Amino acid sequence: MNLLHRARRNKQLVSGSVLATIIVVLGVFGPFLLGDYSHQDLLLGHLPPKTSGYLLGSDALGRDIAARAVVGIRISLFVAISVTAIAVIIGTAIGLTAGYVRGAIDNLITLIVDFIWGFPLILVAVLAAASIGSGLLPVILAVGLVNTVAIARVVRGEVLGLTEKEFIVAAKAGGYSTVRILLKHLLPNVMPVVLVLSSYYVAVAIIAEASLSFVGLGAQPPLPSLGQMVSDGRSFLIMNHWESTVPGVVIFIMVLSVSLIGDGLRDLLDPRLRTAVERASSK
Amino acid sequence: MKSIISRVVSTLLLLLASSLAVFAAIRFSGGDVTAARMPASASAEDRELFRRQIGLDKPILEQYVTYMGNFVTGDLGNSLTSNAKISTLAGEKIRNSLILGGSSILIVFIVGVPLGMIAALKRNTWIDTGVTSFSVAGMAIPNFWLALLTIYLFASTLHWLPSGGQGGFKSLILPALVLSAEGIALTVRMTRSAMLENIGQDFVRTLRAAGLSERRIYFKHVLRNSLLPIISLAGLRVGQVVGYALVVETIFGWPGVGQILVNGVLRRDYPIIQFFSLLLVIAVTLGNLFASIGYTLANPRLRK
Repeated sequence: MNLLHRARRNKQLVSGSVLATIIVVLGVFGPFLLGDYSHQDLLLGHLPPKTSGYLLGSDALGRDIAARAVVGIRISLFVAISVTAIAVIIGTAIGLTAGYVRGAIDNLITLIVDFIWGFPLILVAVLAAASIGSGLLPVILAVGLVNTVAIARVVRGEVLGLTEKEFIVAAKAGGYSTVRILLKHLLPNVMPVVLVLSSYYVAVAIIAEASLSFVGLGAQPPLPSLGQMVSDGRSFLIMNHWESTVPGVVIFIMVLSVSLIGDGLRDLLDPRLRTAVERASSK
Repeated sequence: MKSIISRVVSTLLLLLASSLAVFAAIRFSGGDVTAARMPASASAEDRELFRRQIGLDKPILEQYVTYMGNFVTGDLGNSLTSNAKISTLAGEKIRNSLILGGSSILIVFIVGVPLGMIAALKRNTWIDTGVTSFSVAGMAIPNFWLALLTIYLFASTLHWLPSGGQGGFKSLILPALVLSAEGIALTVRMTRSAMLENIGQDFVRTLRAAGLSERRIYFKHVLRNSLLPIISLAGLRVGQVVGYALVVETIFGWPGVGQILVNGVLRRDYPIIQFFSLLLVIAVTLGNLFASIGYTLANPRLRK
């Protein structure tokens, strides 16, 4: 109750959540409401907003920018949120195990995790696209891999500190099984930092997906991606900037909302996380 | 010292493994390797012949050893699309990327650290709010979108700066600034919270009690204690700059490693992909290794 009360007074968390809700609603329901995103009409190209029934105008090929943007949001949400969610589950499991079991397994895991973690997400995605060809799959693989190791790394660090604490020592002395200690005693204590970090990693994933699609290595036409829409519109910035502006602003709002939620959660759950989180989120 | 040696050895082993992985993944990327050089109508036999000519039919380990041997001696093969020698291209591309990346890292710290300090010293005033909001926005704006905005404003509208290409100092300004935006935002946040954390410490109270001036406390003692996380951030910046440079170089047509790699992937020019991927993997790995060694040496608590 106290936490909920404080959450409501946290400006960053509230504004971030409101923006995120709008984005999610647009991404989930928008494509049903706004109709065909791939319908072309060359006579109706480069229209400014609110003309000829185009809510946010049309692109060079006369396609509805609003309809394309909501599909772009859906793709971006899918890549960033669902892939990061899977990464969080696997990464937490790896981090918990490595930090608690220690020994040779931990050394090997740490070695590999630290190595992969050193690579920026966009570079990993480009390398993946270089190996398996352009498309959404390399982006998904890269987001999954990099976010898994990033979470595993932080969870392991947290667990190392926690295993020295009395309550874990007591649980061990009490004869509880390893699985029970991991799930009932350690997991709840690493959840706050995981929650805060995963919101930053969602933000990085949104940017990576958009960037890859912008340079042409991500989502392939006719699938609309926000990054690719910005790229398509860049030749017409002076004639009709809306084609780039709309997806550009949408990406900005998406990333902003997730970062605000991250900042808000951090202050809410544990202000002492501040530097630790910023160090880890410098990805 | 022992921990540093074991880290160097294990990193080099991982580098070997990952370079083999990248190498193998690119070689196995299917029949499309031939697409860059041959027309769509080419027959399956012709494609097979071409693959054999460039040695793609040999076992992967043998190809790797051959390639690495050539890599060390500087024989890097030719581009499939332009037929240019990669060893001639590489020098210029690497130099351009170093110029861009180096100026970006400089800008990040010259701008980011003072701004973060100002925000911390003027905390909870409008200056702090302004700097903090600027840094939140700086982290949320994707750099390709920022690039388009700056090109629109400074190149298309005001005609102050060129919109792309490599033509001396003026053409460096926009790409370097765009590449730095996210780093500046992050450095501001890091510096601000590290300073604030230290301002609350007991040693600051002791120094005040000893009668030191506020200026001396902040600029000498607090700053020095706040520098460690900032230094470790500098090491991480190298990797980040490599990642974002892939995008920024492509937008601005800056002829560096990032641009040639992205174009290589788009055109399936696999000798180009092969060399520049390996180059970036090695650069990032060594950058991280030096950063972690530097961090260990700079932090007396980790030195053993």
